[in-house]
Amino acid sequence: MHISFLIFSAYGMGGTVRTTFNLAQALAEQHDVEVVSAFRFRDRPFFEPGDGVRLTSLVDMRRHRPTYDGADPEHARPARVFPAADGQYAQHSALTDRRIGEYLSSTEADVVIGTRPGLNVHVARQTRRGPVRVGQEHLTLATHSARLKRLLRRTYPRLDAVTTVTEADARDYRSSLRLPGVHVESLPNSVPAPEVTPADGSGKWVVAAGRLAPAKRYDVLVRAFAEVVRERPDWGLRIYGHGREENKLRKLIDELGLYNHVLLMGSANPIETEWVKGSICAVTSSLESFGMTIVEAMRCGLPVVATDCPHGPGEIIRDGEDGLLVPTGDVNAISGALLRLINDEGLRTRMGQAALSASARFDPARVAARYEDLLTSLVNRRAGTLHRARGTLLGGAYAARETVRLGVKHALEGART
Amino acid sequence: MTRHSCATPPDDAVVAAPPDAGSPAVRRVHRPRADCTTDSAGGLTFRVRLCEGADEEAGAPEVPESAAVLLRLRHQHGPDASLRLPLARAAADGRLQASLPSTTRLREGRWDAYLTLGDEEPQRLLPGVHDLRSLVGSASVDTQAWLGVRIPYTTKYGNLAVRTWLRRPHAEAGALRVADDAITLQGRLYGARLSATACLEAHPRDAAASSVRVPVRPDSEERSEPQAAAPEHGTDTGHSVRDFAAELPLGSLLPGHRVWDLWLRPAEDEEPVRLGRILDDIPDKKRVFKYPSQRVTSRDGAAHSARPYYTINNNLSVQVSVETLAEAEAE
Repeated sequence: MHISFLIFSAYGMGGTVRTTFNLAQALAEQHDVEVVSAFRFRDRPFFEPGDGVRLTSLVDMRRHRPTYDGADPEHARPARVFPAADGQYAQHSALTDRRIGEYLSSTEADVVIGTRPGLNVHVARQTRRGPVRVGQEHLTLATHSARLKRLLRRTYPRLDAVTTVTEADARDYRSSLRLPGVHVESLPNSVPAPEVTPADGSGKWVVAAGRLAPAKRYDVLVRAFAEVVRERPDWGLRIYGHGREENKLRKLIDELGLYNHVLLMGSANPIETEWVKGSICAVTSSLESFGMTIVEAMRCGLPVVATDCPHGPGEIIRDGEDGLLVPTGDVNAISGALLRLINDEGLRTRMGQAALSASARFDPARVAARYEDLLTSLVNRRAGTLHRARGTLLGGAYAARETVRLGVKHALEGART
Repeated sequence: MTRHSCATPPDDAVVAAPPDAGSPAVRRVHRPRADCTTDSAGGLTFRVRLCEGADEEAGAPEVPESAAVLLRLRHQHGPDASLRLPLARAAADGRLQASLPSTTRLREGRWDAYLTLGDEEPQRLLPGVHDLRSLVGSASVDTQAWLGVRIPYTTKYGNLAVRTWLRRPHAEAGALRVADDAITLQGRLYGARLSATACLEAHPRDAAASSVRVPVRPDSEERSEPQAAAPEHGTDTGHSVRDFAAELPLGSLLPGHRVWDLWLRPAEDEEPVRLGRILDDIPDKKRVFKYPSQRVTSRDGAAHSARPYYTINNNLSVQVSVETLAEAEAE
């Protein structure tokens, strides 16, 4: 299959970029995969797209380039296709509408996958007849505005499938949007195995990582850690990431006299080498649409203490087996869970081991195989049920490609005998 | 845990931007990376990836026998300002590997890491995946020998460098408290003996004030911070007393705007040792270990603020400032 991902910017360092590249790279082992970036802000992407993944962009925002599009008068006119209800509306324009539309109406791909609501709207409305249209939800339906939800209800029926990152969100889509004929499936984000050996449970650090944003509730974590330090002053907390809460957190750390025990580390890339310096991961968010850091830490062999917030943590952690779930915002419960793991090395090691094996289900190869199943069935469904001419054409193209692949395989087998 | 791009960091002017006229596809300029691993014996290993995703390095283009990792001490010249570590294929996976043994003494500073292949101009190495776990606990520090600390890190231009310290004796700063008009400090002395006349000294950066001295007491308390390992009794017979604590009244650093550098004098007749914090995996303490400032009023009634901080060389100092009227009123 020729699979094309449409992303806001493949040049950023957000979670959508990482997970898209992880998935694209795994799919590229079997398929022809491209990532189309609506915008290009930098010469080179922050993350490596992966072997065999083609990266192209549609609107060049690099000022030093002759191809700079930012000064184009068309870019000053508001977007009409990209919906105003999407949070990134301001960055889009008549120019992005046109470039994205041109790409979607001429793509040779068998499958086009949008990666945020605004782009999914583009995919639904502008993709030429033929390719399978998939809309990915990396956030959650529940956190979208009423206006965006109304728009998605009107537009998404033109998609073949909507994927969410949690089962909880898939249920929301099925029950509250009711999209006739649209397949809704939850497929988690993928995280590759770390390149370092997993943690052995001996490091006396609790590690947390993520943007220093209000929803991460690091204030709750710091307060909980004050309790931990009272009992176990030989343990510390490292928080990785930058963000607008930094000064507030620093102030809280100073007020609580925790500056010898709680360290704001700044950003780290790669993060896996930092997880393995610790023995426990803490996530105290009030909201996690998925919970990428939980999976990352588990893949490094750390048991995770996480708040049971909507939507991700409860679907990743099996409470009491490979981690501990605690009520959101409950300082005592968080410190209690941390101390339980700190004071019981055997439990910590066992849960770390369990986390390591349980998190293998998020390996890009495993997630990509599930995507492959979904996309193959959608391509076949399209081929079977669509308008005859188009269906035949598409089926023919895919079948031809298959024949070539099988032919090659036969030829190889032939050569061997 | 997507690997970050193998592409050349944008700030390196050496590489001309790839032309992309006619094609919006990204063309990447690849540069070699090195994954650094520290071991508990103090050694540092560089494993070079000639290019991203190149697991096929065993079968990669042949590498000249003279291939090496080259370390150059920044802003310095001379025979001890550059070090060549030969690269060889590792038996296990065929990757190119070079080792810096713990016994090699490196001058204190920042060593930029390069890859040299034959006659070609040495190429800056990019950072890879660094496993610095063994530095975190700093438990197995040999207190008799020179303390040689090497922490691989990423420069602000995105290149690989190694921060080094070479000290003997060394006074490691530990938990620090800023409260009740004083700084209370715990620390550990390496390579010298703490005598009854040991003291903590604050030396003014300028000559307009004179040094301040306070007594130091041996500290037998449990270490109360995550970093420090439990004292290893019996392994250090010559210098059994090495944990210390001291209290520096902030009033003694007043009045005036001034930076004070903190030193530990192990005995009256010995040279003072600069207090620093180098025994872990954090190359730049200034950014991570931050302490609150404390308001202190000098005898003439002027409001001051005092704040301990780590210098860019990870040494411990105290910044004293006179608060302006506006600042004082804002409080």
